[in-house]
Amino acid sequence: MKKLIQFVLENRFLMVLIGVIIIGTGYYSYKNLPLDALPEITPPVVRVYTITEGLAPEEVEQLVTYPVEVAMAGLPNIAELRSISTFGLSIVNVFFDDGTDIYFARQLVNERLQEASRQIPEGYGTPEMGPIATVLGLVMFYYLEDESETYSLEELRTIQDWMIKPILRTIPGVTEVISVGGYEKQFQVIVQPDALLRYEISLNEIIEKIQTNNSNVGAQYIIKNAEEFTVRSIGLVNSMDDLGKIVIKSVDGTPVFLNDLAEIGIGGEIRRGLQTRNGEKEVVAGQIVKLFGTNSSVIIERVEEKLTEINDMLPDGVKMVPYYEQKTLVNASLSTVTNALIQGIMLVILVLILFLSDIRSSLVVAFSIPFSLLFSLVGMSYFGISANLMSLSGLAIAIGLLVDDSIVIVENISRILREKDPLKSKIQIIIDACVEIFQPVVFSTLIIILVFIPLLTIQGVEGRTFEPLAYTVILALISSLFYAIFIGPALSHFLLPNLPFEEKNKISFGQKFQDYLIKLYKPIVSYFVSFPRVSVIITLVFLFIGAIIFPRLGSEFTPEMNEGTTIVTVQMAPSISLEESKRLAMLVEKRLMNIPEIEEVVTVMGTGEVGGEYMPINMGDIYINYKPKTQWNIPLSKDGIEDKIREKLASVPGVVISLTQPIKMLTDELIEGVRGDLAIKLFGNDLEKLKAQGDNIARVLGNISGAADVQVEQTVGSPQLVIQIDRQAIARYGINVSDVQEVVRSAIGGVTAGQVFEGIQRFNILVRFPEKYRGSKEAIENILITSSMGAVLPLSELAHIREVVGPRQISRKNNQRFITIQCNVSNRDIGSFVEEARENLKNEIKLPAGYFTEWGGQYKLQQEANKKLIVIVPIILIIILSLLFLNFHSLKNSLLIILNIPLALVGGVVALWLTNQNLSVPSSIGFIALFGIALENGMVLLTYLNQLVKEGVSVEEASISGAKMRLRPVLMTALTTALGLLPLLFATGTGSEVQRPLATVVVGGLVTSTILTLLVIPALYKWFSDELK
Amino acid sequence: MNKTIISTAIITALLTFFFTRMYYVSVEIIHTENHEESNHESEQNFSQELLDEFGIVVETASGGILERTIELPGEIQIDPDRLAHITPRFDGVVQKVFKQIGDTVKKDDLLAVIESNESLTTYELRSSIDGIVLDMHFTKGETAQRPDHFFAVADLSEVWVNLSVYQKYLSQIKMGQTVNMIFSSDDQPEKGQISYISPTLDEQTRTAMARVILKNNELKFRPGQFITGQVIVDNTYCDLIVPKTALETVNDKPVIFTVDEHGIEPKIVTIGKKNHKSVEIVSGLTLGQTFVQKGGFVLKAEFAKESFGGGHNH
Repeated sequence: MKKLIQFVLENRFLMVLIGVIIIGTGYYSYKNLPLDALPEITPPVVRVYTITEGLAPEEVEQLVTYPVEVAMAGLPNIAELRSISTFGLSIVNVFFDDGTDIYFARQLVNERLQEASRQIPEGYGTPEMGPIATVLGLVMFYYLEDESETYSLEELRTIQDWMIKPILRTIPGVTEVISVGGYEKQFQVIVQPDALLRYEISLNEIIEKIQTNNSNVGAQYIIKNAEEFTVRSIGLVNSMDDLGKIVIKSVDGTPVFLNDLAEIGIGGEIRRGLQTRNGEKEVVAGQIVKLFGTNSSVIIERVEEKLTEINDMLPDGVKMVPYYEQKTLVNASLSTVTNALIQGIMLVILVLILFLSDIRSSLVVAFSIPFSLLFSLVGMSYFGISANLMSLSGLAIAIGLLVDDSIVIVENISRILREKDPLKSKIQIIIDACVEIFQPVVFSTLIIILVFIPLLTIQGVEGRTFEPLAYTVILALISSLFYAIFIGPALSHFLLPNLPFEEKNKISFGQKFQDYLIKLYKPIVSYFVSFPRVSVIITLVFLFIGAIIFPRLGSEFTPEMNEGTTIVTVQMAPSISLEESKRLAMLVEKRLMNIPEIEEVVTVMGTGEVGGEYMPINMGDIYINYKPKTQWNIPLSKDGIEDKIREKLASVPGVVISLTQPIKMLTDELIEGVRGDLAIKLFGNDLEKLKAQGDNIARVLGNISGAADVQVEQTVGSPQLVIQIDRQAIARYGINVSDVQEVVRSAIGGVTAGQVFEGIQRFNILVRFPEKYRGSKEAIENILITSSMGAVLPLSELAHIREVVGPRQISRKNNQRFITIQCNVSNRDIGSFVEEARENLKNEIKLPAGYFTEWGGQYKLQQEANKKLIVIVPIILIIILSLLFLNFHSLKNSLLIILNIPLALVGGVVALWLTNQNLSVPSSIGFIALFGIALENGMVLLTYLNQLVKEGVSVEEASISGAKMRLRPVLMTALTTALGLLPLLFATGTGSEVQRPLATVVVGGLVTSTILTLLVIPALYKWFSDELK
Repeated sequence: MNKTIISTAIITALLTFFFTRMYYVSVEIIHTENHEESNHESEQNFSQELLDEFGIVVETASGGILERTIELPGEIQIDPDRLAHITPRFDGVVQKVFKQIGDTVKKDDLLAVIESNESLTTYELRSSIDGIVLDMHFTKGETAQRPDHFFAVADLSEVWVNLSVYQKYLSQIKMGQTVNMIFSSDDQPEKGQISYISPTLDEQTRTAMARVILKNNELKFRPGQFITGQVIVDNTYCDLIVPKTALETVNDKPVIFTVDEHGIEPKIVTIGKKNHKSVEIVSGLTLGQTFVQKGGFVLKAEFAKESFGGGHNH
């Protein structure tokens, strides 16, 4: 150890150089670190989408989802396979184990996709992977403003799809642009059923004719004289006219054109989503998805740069207007943390100057802050941790801790420099000073690092949310230790004044202050040392107070972060049509616009292009942008406005409203399904039975005391019109099932018969019957079908047509259908509730063969976490104890130190209570940090006391004078830590909500633990000292 | 020493407990949302403004005529009684042709002059009816032979509309029923009566034929044209009819929302006859009661709110 320090000092130039290099690298890392609002909380997941036009959920599941799932099963590192089959769309989510490389995962999925597409029947779509992005990858939303009001929704969508999108997609980091709203332009061939009869033509023939009359070919080249001419034949349909001129049939030389059979027009494709704005009109919009692992704010900046360029290029009057940007949040939360960091650093430096009363040593110590921060950044970029609210919070928490090691070392160096005889060389003195204090410094830092380790074992979204915080704290502490050992001593040599210590005589303000403190402290500590029982009583009183207050604290998961944007989620009846949901959404928007503080509202109903978040058409998100706060009428808070919104929307019939925020919504969706304390997944095959048994389970659960909010997942509720083909009837007429179904598919649903090219833009050609002949049950019954023998029959002769209520969507997990029954538990211990529930279910419900339940939810997460913690926590504690033991070679001493912990906790609890905050994840992290911090003070003090006793001072005397001598470093480390956090206590910016409880706990805990360290440890020292034998 | 070890153990255990609690909080989600107790009363109050805002239209229940129709495909044909094929009585050389396809002819109008091969004398071919020349095979100088060469003259002042009646409708189609003839969506439908129903079914198409005779003085209807015949099979007065838009399905049962001073209430009704626009209400609604005629979906959703409000199920 001595050798190490000696080496450091002998190579001090090298050490400083290394320091400079690290600072440089740190700055470089800082410039290149990805910035995000929140840490990446999604597990590696690859989404496979398959669009299957017009199929109902059952068919989607059977024909598409199942083959995809089967193909994916058995891939390595798969954690879970979940799927949703809904009208016209199949989504299979392949979850991989945490830490799987996303590109590797995608490659695996891609290989199997080939196999899956072969298994999917022809014409039912091709499975495709979603964008390389995560849930929080939707960084910017915009809509197209048409001031001229001359463009139709189809035209605007064409502008979006063919002008804006290709440009945006070229921006590095943008992986996908998802269009929502408006209508995709298509050429519609509306075939008159009468005409089919008249000309004896089937729809299929028309589709074939369109396909065979729409192509360009190349025919190599010809040589004319010495020149080469490329030969091409042009036969592509370019316009409605071209389309109309396609000859379908020729009778006696009289051509029958498509025009004669059908009306050809331009219309919008069938859509499952739309956007509206301000209750005024529909808009066309886009969502920008960033590439996995890229820097959100940089991408948004790049998009904004392009924005003016794009707007110049767009037709007059059309503008691209962003209405939600994650950047605002990223910047706001980063600036909150950065401000806190800067203020914290200032405060810490102030304390240093005050206590060290020496600019030079303060400088040596203060340098450790930028060094450690930048070194941590190097670590972050090495380990791929992005700069986000959580990781930066970790740094903010660590500020005060960063200087602790250096304070202790530098303080010791300067103390010894003042006292020791000038015979020793400066280097020697520094080495001695460092060695003396080296062990407790290393050990106390190690202990703080150790207590953060269990945080890394928490699973799920919570774990991933707070993991970066634990990592950065650990990184920062390691950096500060590195500084204290390698750079600090070297810098001390350069910066601290030469012997003899001149400043001894000058009495600075800081010195006066300290003398005053010591004068104040000495009688108190003497009293306590004389009457140790008093300190025991005080300790017990403190503990008692803590024990009383602790149960009174409320609890919550994470305090809600104010993101600046409010989202009103609307939910309507599952059977609603898109047009009706649009009408209702616009009425809701109109009401919102009546609130004067609201600037703009934009609603997304349903789902736009595939690749974004999937929402059924009965659901929507209303984004609310507020006017600048200065324009708010009354001094309203955001909460106040949200109350106003709730009030306004309370009376909207048929719409369920809830308020959330963009990122909160996305993260909530991630943990959806396990939101309840208890989630029972019932697996089985028959949807009806699942529903019935699910209701049974819900009933049994509801009867158990403590059950609250029991809910069965709504799986049914979509009306269907089922055309069941009567096999006897078709047998009589000699018609095939496919003959009927072809007509059903193309006449009612419409069939794409190729594309029309307009330059590079391409639009589908849709062949379909007019609305009048397919728009109602009656009309569908009357659709005529021609048999091969020439009989013309209405569909109702060949099939039973009936209206039923079918499934909305079919959810599957690991190849099994399931529904979820959720339940919360109140006023009761969840473990016993689950036990009772299991017992009751077993007795009361007999599940059919093949049906089974899986118990999950928050309860399961807790159980799993507890299982791990029960092993990890004692191990960590034992390691801490052995570290303490190693340091002191005394179990008693170690115990005395550990006594600090409960006292620190009491302070944290009281602080939370006084500031009216709840127990939450951040505050519990604060408690965890306290464990380590509280120990540090005690260790520094006790080491010195032991040393004094060793030197022959009596225990009592040592207790008093030792405490007096150590007042300065103890107070300093405590104050720097507390003041480093102080800005977080008073910050009001975005993200401060999350950091405040943490800071509160640490500051509160420090206050009690420092007071008690200074009074209780000296008092009890004699009982815990080993030196009495 | 033993004491120390024991106390170490106790402290470790206590701290383990506390530590575990601490992390436990980290994974615990506490539900702060309070699920509002929704009132389960079957009546709900809606103000007039609210009804207006959400496009909910009310009406007073009344009786009316309920017309039930069946749509059948049909084709216009020439009345065979009004079609004349005028053939040369003797084979011979066509000397002169007076009328062309499309010409209107009167009875006894001269159509052509033919020189008989047998007698070598000329004779005249005259129209036997008033009508239009639809077809003719006479060219000057050609030898006209029976039966290949003829004048087809049709009187189109009346045409037949032959409707194909599918098996399942046979019992409902009766002689004398009124039929609305729809030619295209723009035209006003023409009315006619069923004058004949074929006693047998076509072996190919398995349909019966119902005939409507149409006056065609303006020559608007062209034989060969396809039409849709809307046969009015029932046209009775019902005590209570409501527009179809008033009906909502709740739990697989037809429901109408009634409005009174207490509010709006869903009533299960029994449906009688119906057509594409209106339905007869047999029970569940009384004459003079105010009911929601349009926009009932919103109300239905409002009443069913609890069942679908169960979470943002993405």
